[in-house]
Amino acid sequence: MKILVADDSRVMRQIVIRTLRQAGYDDHDIVEAEDGRDAYDKVRSESPDLVLSDWNMPNMTGLECLQALRGSGSDVPFGFVTSEGSAEMREKAADAGALFLIAKPFTADTFTEHLDGVLA
Amino acid sequence: MNHPGDTGLRRRAGDAPPAIADLIHEATVQEITEQAWLALVGEDELLVPLPAPLPADTLSSWVEIVGPWTGSVVLTCGRATAVELTTALLRDHAPDVLEDEDVDDALGELANVVGGNVKAVLPGPSVLGLPEVGATPPAGSEADTCRVAVLWRGQPLTVSVQSHAERENEVPL
Repeated sequence: MKILVADDSRVMRQIVIRTLRQAGYDDHDIVEAEDGRDAYDKVRSESPDLVLSDWNMPNMTGLECLQALRGSGSDVPFGFVTSEGSAEMREKAADAGALFLIAKPFTADTFTEHLDGVLA
Repeated sequence: MNHPGDTGLRRRAGDAPPAIADLIHEATVQEITEQAWLALVGEDELLVPLPAPLPADTLSSWVEIVGPWTGSVVLTCGRATAVELTTALLRDHAPDVLEDEDVDDALGELANVVGGNVKAVLPGPSVLGLPEVGATPPAGSEADTCRVAVLWRGQPLTVSVQSHAERENEVPL
């Protein structure tokens, strides 16, 4: 299984990857993307089984990336990992086709709770 | 993560934007910051609520919130503390010598996480900006500033929810 981690912060990508390991997903391949545009391109080139994406990113936001993916016919499982978890954003995420929204700060337990159904 | 005392909607009469003191308590900002530290920096990384003078050489990171209340959430610490924070965040992936870019990234992301959770407490709808890093931005009036001072590993660090010096929200009389 392959997971694409998209965040414009390299430090946060490392934290997300570390938390994936802590949550037990240590035998999955990880691909990194540094913004929404890069994530969009890498969904095409890498065919990940799951995308974990920040929301607020330069060039293309996570939401714009998800909308572009769905508009192009991709149904790759997609979840947000973002510093904002308001009801309004959760609704926008769900409307665009996201499976879940994990608010930062998160724990390994939070990842397990949301990812087990997708990666099991 | 809301403090029991925060309604987030204690607007004064009229349509003028509220001051931050009406919207969020220092205890809430402290709790949000502690949660970010425990989850991101490490589960043993406690923040001690003791004010102490910042060193001369500081670095700040901040995110802007634009909405019914407009301002920034600013994290400030000594430059050496920022380097130590970056190493703590990266853990095994920390290089022997950190680039300035890594330190800016780490400090910016901490401000982003704290700012995102502060935004969730404030009245909406509002928009969160991308993190910025640099010299400490000037704050508006004291009445439109909510500031928390803590010690991390004995080093001083502040989190300030502050209006812009040039564009203040309404301040209670």
